This record gives sequence, structure tokens and C-alpha cells, in this order.
Amino acid sequence: MDQTLSLLHQTLPCRATQIDHLHNLFAYKDEPHPETVYIQGGPSTGKSIVVTTLLEKLELKHAILNLVECYTAKILFETILNKLSGHRMDPKNPVPYAKCENMMDFLQHLKNYSLEDDLTGSVIVLDKAEELRNMEFNLLPAFMRLKELSGIPISVILISELVFQKFLSKANIVDPMKIDFPQYNKDELLEILSMDIENARRIVENEYEHSIDFDLEFYKNYLNVFLSVFYRACRDLSELKYMSRINFVKYCQPIITGQNTVEDQMALWKNVAPTLKSSLAVLYLRIDTSNQTDQVVKHSVGSKETSAQSLELPFYAKYLLIAAYLASYNSAKDDKRLFMKFHGKKMKKLKDVKMKSKVSEQLNTQLGPKPFAFDRLLAIFYSILDEKVGFNNNLLVQVSSLVELRLLSSVSDNCFLDGQKYKCNVNFDFIQEISRTVRFNIRKYLSDFSHI
Amino acid sequence: MKSEIKGLKEIRLFIKNRLSNYDGTFVKEFSQRNLVFDLIVRTIQSGESNSVILIGPRGSGKTILINDVLSNIQNNLKFSKDSIIVQLNGLIHTDDRLALKSITFQMNLDNVVDGKVFGSFAENLAFLLACLRTGEKHTSKSVIFILDNFDLFCAHHNQTLLYNLFDVSQSAQAPICIVGVTCRLDVIELLEKRVKSRFSHRQIFLFPDSDVQEDYTLECKIKQIEGYLMLPEVKSEININNNIRKNWNSHLDSLLGDKKFRNIIQRLVDIDISRIALKNFLTNIFFHLDQEKLTVEMFQLELDKLEKDDIVQVLQDLNVLELCLIIAMKHHDEIYDNQPMNFEMILTRYMKFANSNSNTQTVQRPVIMKAFEHIQNLELISMISSSGTRIQKEYQFFKLLVLPRQISEAVKKSVGLPTEVVQWANSSFT
Repeated sequence: MDQTLSLLHQTLPCRATQIDHLHNLFAYKDEPHPETVYIQGGPSTGKSIVVTTLLEKLELKHAILNLVECYTAKILFETILNKLSGHRMDPKNPVPYAKCENMMDFLQHLKNYSLEDDLTGSVIVLDKAEELRNMEFNLLPAFMRLKELSGIPISVILISELVFQKFLSKANIVDPMKIDFPQYNKDELLEILSMDIENARRIVENEYEHSIDFDLEFYKNYLNVFLSVFYRACRDLSELKYMSRINFVKYCQPIITGQNTVEDQMALWKNVAPTLKSSLAVLYLRIDTSNQTDQVVKHSVGSKETSAQSLELPFYAKYLLIAAYLASYNSAKDDKRLFMKFHGKKMKKLKDVKMKSKVSEQLNTQLGPKPFAFDRLLAIFYSILDEKVGFNNNLLVQVSSLVELRLLSSVSDNCFLDGQKYKCNVNFDFIQEISRTVRFNIRKYLSDFSHI
Repeated sequence: MKSEIKGLKEIRLFIKNRLSNYDGTFVKEFSQRNLVFDLIVRTIQSGESNSVILIGPRGSGKTILINDVLSNIQNNLKFSKDSIIVQLNGLIHTDDRLALKSITFQMNLDNVVDGKVFGSFAENLAFLLACLRTGEKHTSKSVIFILDNFDLFCAHHNQTLLYNLFDVSQSAQAPICIVGVTCRLDVIELLEKRVKSRFSHRQIFLFPDSDVQEDYTLECKIKQIEGYLMLPEVKSEININNNIRKNWNSHLDSLLGDKKFRNIIQRLVDIDISRIALKNFLTNIFFHLDQEKLTVEMFQLELDKLEKDDIVQVLQDLNVLELCLIIAMKHHDEIYDNQPMNFEMILTRYMKFANSNSNTQTVQRPVIMKAFEHIQNLELISMISSSGTRIQKEYQFFKLLVLPRQISEAVKKSVGLPTEVVQWANSSFT
């Protein structure tokens, strides 16, 4: 008994209290198991792996399901029965162990099966349990008291990232036993990531077809450098693992080329620092960096300048886009003041004084685009364009191609040929870059900024 | 040493069993139990039809009470011969079709039904009712319907099942007794008018320890704890050494008298008075037990766990960037008096902070967006649904669901947070 426990502690580091707790709950076969256990913890904190390995090591009959896969009650019930009974679906003729449409059938089949084979002490694990809230109303409360409803001593473990409060609704749910899986702290992350050393060796060897000899100390030093950059923005273990593997290859590059030795850690750190910074920008985005230079990667996502520049729009399309942006973020009653040369004298009112003290949260640029009519777009377009251009088919095509590119979106129904309404989808930084390419000062024409 | 650990195992097993089995001993004292029991017995013996609803908050022992009554009836040979018990649960039988199927099965009529082909639900019901109706008042077996989660049956289409059951109970047909069990106090209001008029309006309320006076609740709880944890003198129930038992019981005695311990139990009573809460509390302690006596510290630890705010833990688990966004939201809420916010506003606020501190690493907009989405997934903020038009996610309005107190507690507790972030969190402006 203690052997399995120590084995679990070895294979799953930094989760000692949680393992002890679960072990205490489920390890003793002759003692009654708890009815429901609720496991809560952030992403990649080892919730599923701890439960899975524990149940396997203790050799308890169990069924582990992910509620994202089993998205209807029927699939859920049938999968549970298949797994508990060890029934295998024949790929040619997939027939489940039993057909279950509803909770009643499920409990009936469960009872029938328990007569054949002892189900005492078996466990049903429901991963991503928060999905249960969006399914039939009876599923969550029924699974929380499955032992009572079925009359079979069977336990249910719910795994979720949410706190249990979010499950409480009208249905009266009895509080289950709760186990927290807190996020790993920096030292624990370091310990777990350093277990990846063999993998790192292999990756370097595959990459350069030449292995380098390094010890754990060297790898830990690298991880320290790595975490000092990434820890602030990310505590997700699986993401960190992925990022550390990618960047380790680059960390080792100077050693392969012979610039530095393994001992020369300061130089290695200096070398890798910019790479780490740039890969922080693509965190979570999973962009394949292997066959692109750093420069391209950096530009393809993060910085807005190049994304706007790389989009090669025709001259008029750029002006149309600018006009669309102005129409979206200015209110129509300001148009006269902004776009007409002689708009008459304007009386200063108290309202205008208040306008100046407008806080940033009420700016149009923060509240999002408003829809505008096609006529208004054309009017603004002609007023900001210096040269005279005839209104022809080409312009109309450009508008529809902007919609195709998702730079504009059509708000109204397509059935109205007349008076189509649009919205501009690009943000301020983007439009600023666009207007810079055509030497147009956009700030002057935005009511958010024009009074400054 | 070894024998002690062995004894511990026995104690654990014994008390765990006692805690997790639904023992009906305590409901025997309830006056309500006799009411229900008499009602059912009257139906069986003299063929009176009856209907009753048992109402009480969760964990007050409704189900235990019913089970106790039913087992009593089943054990009595004469009663069990003269009655059929049909148990339905609103959680299992989610519509009338299922309920009907289950009734047929539980009344052992399925072999009769098998041969027939019912065109519709109505025909099936009519057949069942006919079976019930054909019986004379005194000659036929009485049927006892137990409807657990009675409020859920009220949501069924047209309340057909309830209407028909109550209708049978009102007319002189085969004697049936309908016992509804629910925790909703307003359950009568859920019934349709025609159903309500057929119901006998007999309601039995069950409240936790309702017969105990306020001042005695602590004493009463301690007595309950003693009842759960004391090892019995009778040898046959538990097979352990006499010395170990004496040791355990004397430890328990001194624990129950301990002032600190009484404070903890008082706190527990203040939070939740129901028996199920106490049971959960003790069960949690027992699943941890690894020494041969209970200590006050174990109870204190468990109480701390009970009182712990899960949201604070979730906030602590966030990375620095996400926590910064939460702090920005908190400031937004304070300044604009809980007006909704969108991503752009929070981003501007965060950027203002990040730019004023030179040593903060700036991250790209997509990464911040990802952090924002993570916060949304954790349901720390919730989307305010707006009118049908699709809005880009940057401009979608949100509301913060975390209290300022929880945020400052999480900031206080997290280790390794940069000082400027802590200062920013505690500042009341910017």
C-alpha cells in the first residue's frame, strides 16, 4: 500500500498533499469511499494525471470521461457503461454495451451490470465538469448523488477549473468533498521542468545532429534564465514546457558553432536574451518558428506596423478604409465640423468644454465601432481625398473586397441593395499605419482627438 | 506499536461506515415520522386514499425518514403483502413517459403491458389507471407512490401524471397514497389549479432540530458528535482491543470538554445547522485520520478549510499579467461605479501602469488578449449580453465578479509579486 504511495510521489512531484488526500479517500478497499469529490485547479496543474495514475495504481474499476467529448447525455451514459463493463466497440459495427437515452435507462443498466460484476468501489471521473451545467438539468445533481440514486456504492470525481460556487444554481446540490490543486510556484516549476532534461538532450541532438554533453546544473541554469523572462506572463506548465524546448535549441546554438563553451553561461545568456524576449511575444500562439527567421516571426504577429504594411491595398481602398474608420468612430453630427471647409462659426457651449475633459473610457475609440450607412462613407471619402475621382464600379468593388478581407463588416441584411450598413473592424494602431502610408493625418479628423 | 496502528484501522473503518451509511436511528424520534407512517398504514389497512407533501431543507433527513418508514412497512409481513411501493425521483424520471414506464415496471405490470401495443401515452396511462380503478376499495392492494424531488414533477408537461395520480386519490378507486418529498417551501404554488384542487393540502414540515431550543443547539451538536464518534461497549459491533477502545473514548471525552473545541463547533453551528453539514465535517476529518486520537488542531484545520474563500485561491493562481488585469478592472469599477468595461479600456489602464514602471516587461497585445480570455474562462468576469449585433471581442462589455476585498487578500497572500504591482493594487486612484 505504501509502495504505491511512494511511487506516486516520485512520478508526480510537487503534488504531495493532493496525492495523500486522494490516496486516503480511495486506497482502503474495505472502507466506504466518498460519494462525490470535486477537484478544482487551474490549467495544467496535474489534476487529471494525478487522478488517472492513482486510480490505475490502486487498481480500482474506473471510467474516465471528458465532458467535451461526451457532449450529449446519450453519449455520456453509453461511454460510461462501455468503459465500466470493458466493452469494446467493433469499428465495423459500433454497438455500445447498452443503449441509454436517459438517466433512468442508465441507472437500470448500471444496476443490471452490477449484478453480473461487482461495481463496489468503482469510480466515475468526469473531466471538464463545468460542461454539465449546460446539459440537461438533472445530470449534475444526479451525478452528485449517484450513490443514493443507484444504490450502488460508486463514487464520482468531478474535475474542473472553476470554483465550486459556479455550480450552485436552483437545483439543490449538497456540497461535495473538495480538493484544491493550486498552481505551481516558481521553484516547483523549475523542478518539474528540469525533469525534461532527457528530452532536451534528444532535441538538441536531432536539431544539430551532434550531441553536446551537459549536466543537470547546466540545464537548470538555462531554466532559471528562461523562467525569469516567462514566469510573469505565464504559469501554465504545458505552455512553459513547449516554450522551453524551443528556446533551448537556440540557447545551445553558440556551443555547437564553437563560439562559447558549456561553462560560459554569461555569454550564453546574453546571446539568448533577445530570442527569449521575442518568443515571449508569440506565447500561446504556437507559431512554427523552425523555418522562418526571427525577424519574420516577430513581424508576422506582434507588431502592427508590418501587418498593416504587408497588406497591400490599392490607393483608393486605403482611403476608403480610412473613411470607414472615421465614419465608425465619429458621430454623424460632428461630420459638418470636421469635413466642411466653411462650416460657419461655432458657438462654444458648455457641452464642448465638457467634451475636452472627456475621460478615456468614454472615447469612441474605446467603445468600439458604430455602424454607418454607405452614403456617409462615400461623402467622407470624397471630402478627405484631394483629387477628383469619378464614382464608378471600381470603387464599389473595392468596398466589397474590404468586406471580404474582414476589414469592414456588413451589419445590415444582404437583401437591402440600398442603404447597406457597415462597420469598420480595424483598430486605431492599424489605421494609423495605413494613413501614414498615404500621408494622411487621421488624428485631425477624429472627434476623440481633434480638440486636443 | 503495530497493534495500535491495526486498531486505528478498525476504528477508521467502523466510524467511516457509521458516517457514510444512512442510519435512520435519529429520525425515529421525529414526530413527523409517525404522521407519515400512520398515513401509509391507514391506506394499507382501511383502504383510504391520501396525499401528503413532506417539505424540509436539504440535509434535514427527509429521504432517511421515508426510507425508514418504507423499510418498516416492508419488514411487516402483513403490510408488505397488501401494498406495492412505487418510488419515483424527479431527477431520474424527467418526463411523464419515463415515469409511466417506471411505474409499470415497479407494479410488475410489464408482462401484462408487453402483449399490448399502445398507440400513445394517453392509452398507456388509461390502461394503468384502469388497472388501478378496477380494484375495489377493500379487496385490492394499495399502492404507495413516493415522489422524491416533487418540485421537478411539477415542471412536466401539463402536470399530467400528478393530475391523474391525485385524481385517483380523490375518487373511490384502488387505494393509493402519494407522498411527495421536496425542499421547496413554495411547492404548492407550482401546482396547476386543477391539480391543486385535487391535492389534500396536507403538508408536513421538517426542519433540522426544530424541536430543540436555540440555546441548546451547541449541546445538541456535541451530543450528536459523541453519538457518531464514541466506540460502543458491545464487543460484537467492533472487533478491537479493550484498551484501545478505552483510550479512544477517554481521549474523545476530554476533547468534547475542551473549550477550544467547543468554540469550533459553535462556529460550525453558526454557519450551518443541518446534520448533513456536521456529517460532512466529521467525514472529512476521518478521511485524514492517521493517528490514534483526534486533536483540536484537526478540527481547526477542517474549519479553516470550510471557511476558505476559493476565489482568493484562484486569484493567487493567476500569473502576474492576469492579476494586473484584474487590478485594472478593480480600479475601473471603483472609478466608474461598477459600470461595464471592455478589453480596450482595461488595456489602456494596464498600459498606463506598465509604461509608468520602467522595469515592467511589456508584452504584446495578443498575449494580453489571451490573458483576458483566460480570466473570462475562469468566470471571474462575465459577459454582459447586448443587443443582437455581433461585437468584436475587444469591445464586448464585461462585469467583474470578484470583490475588491478578495483581490486585496489575494495580493497580500501571493508571494513574489513585484512591489509596484502591490502598490498599484492598494492605491485607490489612477
